[in-house]
Amino acid sequence: MNNAEAKFILQGYRPNGADAGDATFSAALAQAQNDPALGRWFAQQQAFDAAVGAKLAAVPVPADLRAAILAGGRVTTAGTAHRAWWNRPAWMAAAGVAILLAAGVALWPKQAAAFSDFAFADAKLSAMHGGHGHESNELQAVLNDPATRLGQKLPINFANLHETGCRTITFKGRDVLELCFKRNGVWFHAYIARAADFPRLALNSTPALEDRGSTAIASWTDHDHVIVVVSKTGRKNLEALL
Amino acid sequence: MSSEIFTQLVDAHYTPLFRFALSLTKNPSDAGDLTQQTFFIWAKQGHALREEGKAKSWLFTTLYREFLRGRRRAERVTPLEELGPVESDPPAPEVDLVTGMDAGLVVAALQEVDEVYRVPLTLFYLQDLSYKEIAEMIEAPIGTVMSRLSRGKAQLRAALARKEAGARGKVVPFQSQTARKLS
Repeated sequence: MNNAEAKFILQGYRPNGADAGDATFSAALAQAQNDPALGRWFAQQQAFDAAVGAKLAAVPVPADLRAAILAGGRVTTAGTAHRAWWNRPAWMAAAGVAILLAAGVALWPKQAAAFSDFAFADAKLSAMHGGHGHESNELQAVLNDPATRLGQKLPINFANLHETGCRTITFKGRDVLELCFKRNGVWFHAYIARAADFPRLALNSTPALEDRGSTAIASWTDHDHVIVVVSKTGRKNLEALL
Repeated sequence: MSSEIFTQLVDAHYTPLFRFALSLTKNPSDAGDLTQQTFFIWAKQGHALREEGKAKSWLFTTLYREFLRGRRRAERVTPLEELGPVESDPPAPEVDLVTGMDAGLVVAALQEVDEVYRVPLTLFYLQDLSYKEIAEMIEAPIGTVMSRLSRGKAQLRAALARKEAGARGKVVPFQSQTARKLS
């Protein structure tokens, strides 16, 4: 591969590092590491791409767009001709039993379950997540490191991660950071919230595992943050990180 | 689909979808309508999607198809056979040119890139989809996506240089003959 061919491949490499695990780029990346001129070109190209990406991410979105979409979605769902599952007699009976059972269950740790529910649903919806910006890349590198174990103290600076472009989603009106990382060829999704935002969460510092079908979830707290990691490839892969 | 899941889906994707729509329509109002239309279709049909993990690709693809469907000037798309060659050895771009610019000006420069390149280029800069996912979305081979990214970046560099010169109140000739040939 000559440098022109390497450049052709490398200009498709996203500056947020999301393509780090893609074998297509391996040879060209290695060449950039060994060839100073190509390496300089690649660094400049990445900086340029990151700068354009940051400008695009700074484009304001109309303030009322989200509300309009949600309102439209509710109207559309309500107006669809098919009968919703919760509107069928058999399901209604089953749901009634479930509600009675749920009412009998102690509330604790209801909020913890809700947070992991949220992380579970979000991870299921998006095949490839974010974690953008310099701060995210650094935390991502720690999480990618085979030596890092879930439950150990992570270098999380919530405010910096938020300000420098890490994907932020809202749960119960509070910010939750999400970034993905890769270990042994498998993607994981980490959700980080400030512990102070969820004072009723009663999590341990040791990760607790739970299964949701083929998906596994680990939840713990480092006292400052609540962290949930979701693996869509099952418990075994998640246990390997403990 | 529960309203909570729908809300999460909207929160996760409406911002990049709007920015993608803006690069296509060049108009915030139309971009907002296109984004809403995409979620409207999801609310009607999206629950039928078997793999929930494909939701993001589905939304971007649906938005793009809705844009194409609604456009009346399809004949203005540049036929690929008329395109010039990909830059064989692209120069390193000037980062300072972009960092000192207003976001609106950068987006305006992006909107000057031919649509056939602008679609993959915008998706690349949104950084949500890999080049493979972009290829699936626009139904083009991976090599074609790479070529379009290369050509698109050449046009973007030229457009940024024009914007910068315009912002400084100067008129400068094209620096890149290759970019001129491609534009």
